[in-house]
Amino acid sequence: MEVTMDPLFLAWSYFRRRKLQQCSDICTKILQDNPYDQAAWSLKTRALTEMVYIDEVEVDQEGIAEMMLDESSIAQVARPGTSLRLPGTSQGGGPTPAVRPVTQSGRPITGFVRPSTQSGRPGTMEQAIKTPRTASTARPVTSASGRFIRLGTVSVHESASMLTNPDGPFINLSRLNLAKYSQKPSLSRTLFEFIFHHENDVKNALDLAAQATEHAQFKDWWWKVQLGKCYYRLGLYREAEKQFRSALNHQAVVDTYLYLAKVYQRLDQPITALSLFKQGLDQFPGEVTLLTGIARIHEEMNNIASATEYYKDVLKQDNTHVEAIACIGSNHFYTDQPEIALRFYRRLLQMGVYNCQLYNNLGLCCFYAQQYDMTLSSFERAMALVSSDEEQADVWYNIGQVAVGIGDLALAYQCFKLALAFNNDHAEAYNNLAVLELRKGRIEQSKAFLQTAASLAPHMYEPHFNLSILYEKIGDLQNSYTAAQKSEDAFPEHVDTQQLLKQLRQHFAVL
Amino acid sequence: MEACPGGGQWLDAHYDPVACVNTFSSCVALADLSGDGENRLVVGDVGGSGGMKLKVFGGTALLSDSSLLDLPAGLAAFFMDLHEPRIPAVAVASGPSVYVYKNLRPYFKFTLPGSEVNVLEQDVWQQVREGHIDHVTLKEMLESIRKQADVPLSVRSLHFLSLDAAATDEFVQLHKQQPIRRQTVITCIATLKKSTADEDGVSCLVIGTESSDVYILDPEAFIILSKMSLPDAPSMMDVTGQFDVEFRITVACRNGNIYILRRDSDKPKYCIELSAHPVGLVRVGKNVVVGCMDESLQAFTQKGKKLWSVVLPAPVTTMASMDLPTRGFQAVLVGLANCEVHLYRDKNLLSTIKTPDAISSICFGRYGREDGTLIMTTKSGGLIVKILKRTAAFEDRDGAHGPPPAQSIRLNVPKKTKLYVDQTLRERDCGAAMHRAFQMDLSRLRLAATKAYVKALESSLTPMSSSLTEPLKMNAVVQGLGPSFKLTLNVQNTAACRPVMNLAISFLYDESLYRMRNPYMRIPLLVPGLVYPVETFVECTSDKGISDIIKVFVLHEGRSVPLLTAHINMPVSEGVTLN
Repeated sequence: MEVTMDPLFLAWSYFRRRKLQQCSDICTKILQDNPYDQAAWSLKTRALTEMVYIDEVEVDQEGIAEMMLDESSIAQVARPGTSLRLPGTSQGGGPTPAVRPVTQSGRPITGFVRPSTQSGRPGTMEQAIKTPRTASTARPVTSASGRFIRLGTVSVHESASMLTNPDGPFINLSRLNLAKYSQKPSLSRTLFEFIFHHENDVKNALDLAAQATEHAQFKDWWWKVQLGKCYYRLGLYREAEKQFRSALNHQAVVDTYLYLAKVYQRLDQPITALSLFKQGLDQFPGEVTLLTGIARIHEEMNNIASATEYYKDVLKQDNTHVEAIACIGSNHFYTDQPEIALRFYRRLLQMGVYNCQLYNNLGLCCFYAQQYDMTLSSFERAMALVSSDEEQADVWYNIGQVAVGIGDLALAYQCFKLALAFNNDHAEAYNNLAVLELRKGRIEQSKAFLQTAASLAPHMYEPHFNLSILYEKIGDLQNSYTAAQKSEDAFPEHVDTQQLLKQLRQHFAVL
Repeated sequence: MEACPGGGQWLDAHYDPVACVNTFSSCVALADLSGDGENRLVVGDVGGSGGMKLKVFGGTALLSDSSLLDLPAGLAAFFMDLHEPRIPAVAVASGPSVYVYKNLRPYFKFTLPGSEVNVLEQDVWQQVREGHIDHVTLKEMLESIRKQADVPLSVRSLHFLSLDAAATDEFVQLHKQQPIRRQTVITCIATLKKSTADEDGVSCLVIGTESSDVYILDPEAFIILSKMSLPDAPSMMDVTGQFDVEFRITVACRNGNIYILRRDSDKPKYCIELSAHPVGLVRVGKNVVVGCMDESLQAFTQKGKKLWSVVLPAPVTTMASMDLPTRGFQAVLVGLANCEVHLYRDKNLLSTIKTPDAISSICFGRYGREDGTLIMTTKSGGLIVKILKRTAAFEDRDGAHGPPPAQSIRLNVPKKTKLYVDQTLRERDCGAAMHRAFQMDLSRLRLAATKAYVKALESSLTPMSSSLTEPLKMNAVVQGLGPSFKLTLNVQNTAACRPVMNLAISFLYDESLYRMRNPYMRIPLLVPGLVYPVETFVECTSDKGISDIIKVFVLHEGRSVPLLTAHINMPVSEGVTLN
């Protein structure tokens, strides 16, 4: 006689081995036999939750409505260094846009793509609805390297509707007696996570959490954190803050610090978030996630120097931290030390990060560190690892840069055109192509390309400046002045723009 | 009080940010209007929020406020007779007339003589009056007169020419009976002592007009004593001397030249050609200091010799002279657009006053019983009064500067790392091998790039076409949150002069995901250099939160190969269609 394993034990084993579908199937069978088996029911909810679970602390992208219809900001013009919304409030000698490219919101691009670094906060509604909103279309140029490691589980909100069981939902929320479940601590937690993550029904989750915390006589920190999460999802940041604070009074947990800091960032209080992280570090010295949080805030506030310091602290604790390595690497690259950046990127390679962006960065670092023999082979590898048209465009664009560097303008021309063929919105390629066209003497084409680049990326100063120079050369001083002013808006410290403006003003004043 | 150098020399007497005074330096004067020894501030307010007013301030209060008929061009206080008590009259120049106020009551109005009228124009209007010609002919004839004649048309004819065809009839009926007059307008006004240099001596009015003439009026009879003509319309004027003895009128004209007129001739004696248009004109002693539009302050002698020139930090808004005869101190006050007032003696900057707003008029003199008072009005209508401290001393600062401060700032050049040195060693050792490897890779890459390029060209993958007959460029913009998106395709013909026609746009998309309002569109004729936006609407029919690429082709009629292709990455539709 064959000895069969206890099906619940088997399901539990599957669950631990993360074979979630099998686990859920077995639990379904057990529940068919005995619909009141609480253990199987609980395990199934957990399995289903795990399938769609994402780390709430990490994934956070502000929607357009939150960005544009923001009610929580009080002072419209924040003092420098106190807000995440004001670009260009740089305090600590970061590189200028002439050296390090900026994102649409006027911040230097980071070495690591996170949801919040993609597009920043657009200034106008027009810009907001024009901004590409998918993760793959916002252009982080090429220093993206760790995106796939951390954002492996993408689909955020829509996933719930796609992955439910074909034959009716597992739990029918509307018929659930929440009050009953909230009395049973063993079931209520898994049920809450199921409702919150799998069903994505924040309202019911909030109801359950409220009743459960009442049942626990407001003494259970876990339920308070869950309440805070629900409030955060609903956009009630002040309530969320209260719950997290109260949870921290019961029990200091790293997660709670991170959630609370997230609330403060959403409320645009980076200084408070920083001090909160520092408090957290007192409790948990050397905690990597807290250090990373500090570094990210510094980075978003344009304080690259101290951001790098904190990333270095992160690496002291965890020397395989991809984000820290990538950020320090790109910082070295843009502060004129490509040979050190090369070391960092090689470290990433050793750790097993193997993607197009990394080879792209390696290629550029090799080129600028004068290790020519490895430059082009890196790009070839990058080309072989391409997974989307945007990446292909970025690789061609970077090869174009190298071609400009070695003076092969014909190759550069082809590369930039190819970059545009793969990504029609590549403003940098348009700009560079325009410069090449101008060298060939094709003024009309050059002008058209520059105008396109300027309309695609109004945050870049280069197209405006080039356009201004072009207009000045063909004698259209009025347009030249307008373009120079736009360039000045994008990059106020640009000396060449200032000189051009001065020259134009003199032109206008002279009789 | 600000801590800035020079700020300590002034006392803040009064600042009213909402005094509602919109005026310029030419419409401001200080005079003892009631004969009690206290000077008042007379301002010709050009209006803005309210109407045009003649305002008188005493102390910190507005004493009187009377309406003006027309926009004031200039204002001057002068003694017109020898009666006691010695109360000056106020002359306000507006339009073609000078309105003289005594005791702040209208006293006399002097209107400039009309100018010569074009004989042909007069004839034409005569014929209209007699009904010989109709309006169309009138219009044509006036047009031809305007083009040919050396005497310009009257205001009425110019107005007629600017009217629509429908309104001409009524206009002619209304005005044809009146004779034609051609009236010039006053651009600037100043005073000139008649025969004595005393402070309270009788003065003549000097008037500059749009017709490039300068008139000197007798103060009692208001008859023209002298008429001089200039090459261009005057904009600013400065007068010194006495009419009966010898005088000099320095006039800045709109052509950017400064002319100096003297008693004995009716033509300018000297001419100073400036490098940029003058903004302010002040005489200091025997020299003329001019603030120019190119942010410079220049000084000239009476004979037009350039003495010095200073570059200012911002554009000049207004200028005035600061004259303290008791201390023998003469300097120039320059109001700048960066909210500062600079005080210059010769080319040396003596002090800087910071103001809360850019100032539009400035005036220094006796106000109330205080001799050294500085009165400024700001662009937003504020009034600032500052008093010079009795102890204030102005010292010429050394004009010669040391090396510029930027010279001592160290550049943030990163240190050469050990790694770098190691790499250079490697480069030195195996340079040849590296070069060979690079060259080989480069050739391979060139080949790969060319292959990809040819492929892109053959299938017209690029968003621009470089063919000689149809050089086009297109970029696409997607707007909207979903499920409806607006798709704007900006098509541009980049040829130098040749238009492109017979083009069409079509789309390639996943029909299970998107629905397009019009998937085929004709493009109009494309004029070179202009951007043609072509718009259409796309509806996302899926609620799965997925997005796709839409391909756009620009086609030439009768040819199957597209001229260019654009790929549009559609955003994820965030809106959910209501059921």
